[in-house]
Amino acid sequence: MIDKNYAHPEVLVSTEWVAEHLADPCLRLVESNEDILLYDTGHIQGAVHIDWRSDLQDQMIRDYITPEKFASLCERHGISNDTTVVFYGDKSNWWACYALWAFRLFGHTKVMVMDGGREKWVAEGRHLTRAVPHFQSGTYLPATHRKDDEIRAFFDQTLTHSKENKPLIDVRSPGEFRGELTHMPEYPQEGVLRGGHIPGAASVPWKMAVNDDATFKSAEDLRRIYEQEAGLRPGDDVIAYCRIGERSSHTWFVLTYLLGYKNVRNYDGSWTEWGNRVGAPIERN
Amino acid sequence: MDRVGQPSGRANRTQLMESQYPEPLTRIICLFEGLSDAEKRESLISYADSASKQAPRSGETFDLEDIRKDEECTDTVGVYLKISPTRACTFRITLGPQVQTLTKAMTSILCKGLDGASPEQILDIPADFVPKIVGADLVRQRSQTVYYILTRMKSASRVWLNRERAATHH
Repeated sequence: MIDKNYAHPEVLVSTEWVAEHLADPCLRLVESNEDILLYDTGHIQGAVHIDWRSDLQDQMIRDYITPEKFASLCERHGISNDTTVVFYGDKSNWWACYALWAFRLFGHTKVMVMDGGREKWVAEGRHLTRAVPHFQSGTYLPATHRKDDEIRAFFDQTLTHSKENKPLIDVRSPGEFRGELTHMPEYPQEGVLRGGHIPGAASVPWKMAVNDDATFKSAEDLRRIYEQEAGLRPGDDVIAYCRIGERSSHTWFVLTYLLGYKNVRNYDGSWTEWGNRVGAPIERN
Repeated sequence: MDRVGQPSGRANRTQLMESQYPEPLTRIICLFEGLSDAEKRESLISYADSASKQAPRSGETFDLEDIRKDEECTDTVGVYLKISPTRACTFRITLGPQVQTLTKAMTSILCKGLDGASPEQILDIPADFVPKIVGADLVRQRSQTVYYILTRMKSASRVWLNRERAATHH
């Protein structure tokens, strides 16, 4: 476990800890990446692959799968309701945090993140394998409903939040926030008509929360960034957003687990919804 | 026709052979079209593994070298072009470590598939072969850089042709 004075140090584990627990039958390692073939090129022994789009999202409606389909996904990967799932992935754990957030949507609370993600594991020269593990099917009782009302924000809720001047954190790059870019730097255009940000949002790019080796900064550093500089206060009702909800999942994880905020929601519609939505107000500054 | 309105696999291959793709690329496309999704993934990984072998080899010289980091791609890509007296192109490509696996695979595929094509042929190649190789499931917003390498090869070919044209006019 890693304790840099985090509110919930039990959710963050080091690469060393993972290496020592590869054979633990109560754990399941889940790799989630942006690079769709990265898992196939090599992964941590015993890790299964969960894809943010084909596994977690409904393929016909812009939404997540049902609790029944989620239960089936988990059972396929040998995950039961009481399995502790350790997430890791590329891009400083963007998609790992996204998958973790999605697991929380379905009520799975035994979750962890490997600090530093895939980059750190690889940088340390640790072993990767191409062998895809096969586990005995898990037993997963589906949740009665997704926890959309607890950790997820929709357009109307975000609009109300903005009008009431409640804290909104825009985790995109400064260029996207100012409306100078309609795509993420180094990425293709993802179909947004207008640039800018949600009125009243504070710009705190996700990257502020991590060190150069992709590990999370200490709680002291994170408090300085989110509280002293961005003005958040413990107890605030916060909505985070980006373009499609993955970078803001990272910030959701930081605020929820590392700083202990109890009311943080991820607006997964994010700028690809807001920037295209008829009648949605925007700011540019 | 296999089904009403559906051309058979053989008809597809015939159409491909008559298409604007250079022959080596056509062979690769035909190979991928006959693979299952799992086999496609395996083949793409294999091509991605050989991406580093597409870098310039010791002692090679080039007519054009274009090394840059663009907004559209996650890392630096170097394109090296050699054109023979018979106008046959040979490409070598270097990729930064952050380049995605699909882009690495496409690098190997294009270096092999376009080997020997003329610069004019390269400029005319439509990009519609990419989903045939990669499969619709793997072509998504965040993996659009699979098209990037072809764009850079075309760009190098265009620059070389412009230089040739300018030299002819002088």
